[in-house]
Amino acid sequence: MSTNLVLTIALPLLGAFLLPVLMRSSVAIALWSGPAILVYGCWTVAELWLSGFAQPLSIAIGGFAPPLGINLYVDSLALLFAFAVQLLGLVFWPFTLDQESARRQSLMLLLVAASTGLALSGDLFNLYVFYELAAVATFGLASASGSGAAYVATLRYLILSGIGSVLTLFGIALIYSQTGTLNLAHLAQLAPAQLNNSLGLTAFLAILIGIGVKAELFPVNTWVPEIYATASTRLSAFLAGLLSKLALLIILRLLLLIFHQPEAAQVILILGILGVISGELAAWRAKEMKRMLAFSSIGQLGMIFIAMALPDGKGMLAVLALALHHLIIKSGLFMLAEDWGGALERLRGSAKASPLGAVLFVLFSLSLVGMPPLPGFWAKFVLITELAAQVEPLYLLGLTVFLLATVVEASYLFRIAATLYSNPAPDTLSEEIPKSKGLSLATASLFGAGMIAVALLIAPVGDGLQAIAAQAQDVDLYITTVSPAVSGGSQ
Amino acid sequence: MIPAVTPELILYTTAIGLIAIGLAGVVLSSHLFRMVLALVIAEAGANLMLVLAGYRWDAVAPILTSRAEPAAMVDPVPQALVLTAIVIGVGIQALAVSILIRIRQRFATLDRKEAAERMDAEIAATLGAPRDISQEAPLGERPLPTLPADQINMRGDSP
Repeated sequence: MSTNLVLTIALPLLGAFLLPVLMRSSVAIALWSGPAILVYGCWTVAELWLSGFAQPLSIAIGGFAPPLGINLYVDSLALLFAFAVQLLGLVFWPFTLDQESARRQSLMLLLVAASTGLALSGDLFNLYVFYELAAVATFGLASASGSGAAYVATLRYLILSGIGSVLTLFGIALIYSQTGTLNLAHLAQLAPAQLNNSLGLTAFLAILIGIGVKAELFPVNTWVPEIYATASTRLSAFLAGLLSKLALLIILRLLLLIFHQPEAAQVILILGILGVISGELAAWRAKEMKRMLAFSSIGQLGMIFIAMALPDGKGMLAVLALALHHLIIKSGLFMLAEDWGGALERLRGSAKASPLGAVLFVLFSLSLVGMPPLPGFWAKFVLITELAAQVEPLYLLGLTVFLLATVVEASYLFRIAATLYSNPAPDTLSEEIPKSKGLSLATASLFGAGMIAVALLIAPVGDGLQAIAAQAQDVDLYITTVSPAVSGGSQ
Repeated sequence: MIPAVTPELILYTTAIGLIAIGLAGVVLSSHLFRMVLALVIAEAGANLMLVLAGYRWDAVAPILTSRAEPAAMVDPVPQALVLTAIVIGVGIQALAVSILIRIRQRFATLDRKEAAERMDAEIAATLGAPRDISQEAPLGERPLPTLPADQINMRGDSP
């Protein structure tokens, strides 16, 4: 049954290449095969989860045992993200029915396949390949609107992402020349002896910056406002909500398994702090909702990086909670922004035109800022307690910035909320007020319902996350699961 | 101390040098096509680095030609990896060039600044909101009165 999990990568990949061909023979089959594949993927992951999944497992691809062959590593964390990828792929599916959409749908399947691979793969080079695959699919989807601005934004993203992949490749080469393996479990065994030096640190920094392009890490995130402003809102929601988290997941795995140097954590902390400052201030100045969300997502990811930098994996729970919280909230906010584009002034009076949308916006904002009963409060609370327990000044600086950023966040989010609920300017016609409606409002309500469900079930969700975090932190478990033969560590 | 010049040292220097040249090119060029070319150079450097990671000077190509005890062989893994990396790189370069063609068709320019300027303007127009930051209208008070338009000649171009 666990081998079915390979199909969650293989089927979307196959579908991506078959869709354009299928489209020629039968439009109906082609249009439904994509969602069908994703539903099957959701079901496969959910079934594995529900059938008493407790111990992580390793799937050797093609029967070659790791470290020689490539393996998929499946623990609760990977499974959670694999499920999120398939589900959000379905939620953000480009449902339009025309010839052009075939291309978009096959790119979307490619993105889902690559993202699932990113969540599951246990091999460094395999991760790189999936990462590039996701990047190519993103370029295609981002330029799909066909406007000049979209092409320029995509090219700038492509070049930045290209620099990222060069750096990642450089880091991989350094690691391979030092250890002679790219299997994460094998690397985890060898790392304390062979990568605990300046060469290992260099490799980590190169990979951090390289992968960080997708995770909206501070110096390499200039693409974020451009792409989110030109690409379709659904793609922006997928990128900001999910793909950034997957890049984050890779960095987290590398940090937990291989790179234990305190310098690595310090660099992440500093970049995270800078990301929070730059992102939140830019969001505060933004005059348009999509751009504001783009910048605020940079700030939010900076907060997650701060959590990641906590020593000895103490921030693991905070990272998970913040990442999943951001995934739900930012996707919902982007879906609301689909109909609420344009200057913020235009939104005056929108609360009357679309009361549900306005209520959702206020709820999302309150959770993002951290209002007690909502999940955002608990995510931030965990991080604040962990940060406050540290004695090093850098962590306290992180705490200060984090708290200040929350104030800034509240300021710009509530400014929009106030605009929504204020009376429209006297000379505007009621038709001119943008309404949130249709599919985007339904999708946003879905995320809103998810958020409220989490808020009601906060105790079991918290326990579940704690268990997932503990399992992901267990390096020995990772090693023994992947290669039981060498569990003695006498390599 | 000057290390002895070995072929290995030369190759490693070349690889890192190519990456540096490529990165510098991406940052410094003012033409979008040159940026793509610079990226190609940087990728070549990274690929060379990957090949070097498993290379042995005293070994042969990793191909089994007879059943006899094989001689010392070069590590085949990085060579397989670099093939993958080259294929990915070529694909992305082709995509980049096709996007360049589209940009040229839409904006009739491939100048980096001009394209970015046009993009910002178009984004502002589609979103229906003023631009956050613009080089024409920077934030804050100007310490000096602005020059009349005909006197601005910062690049030293002939008017």
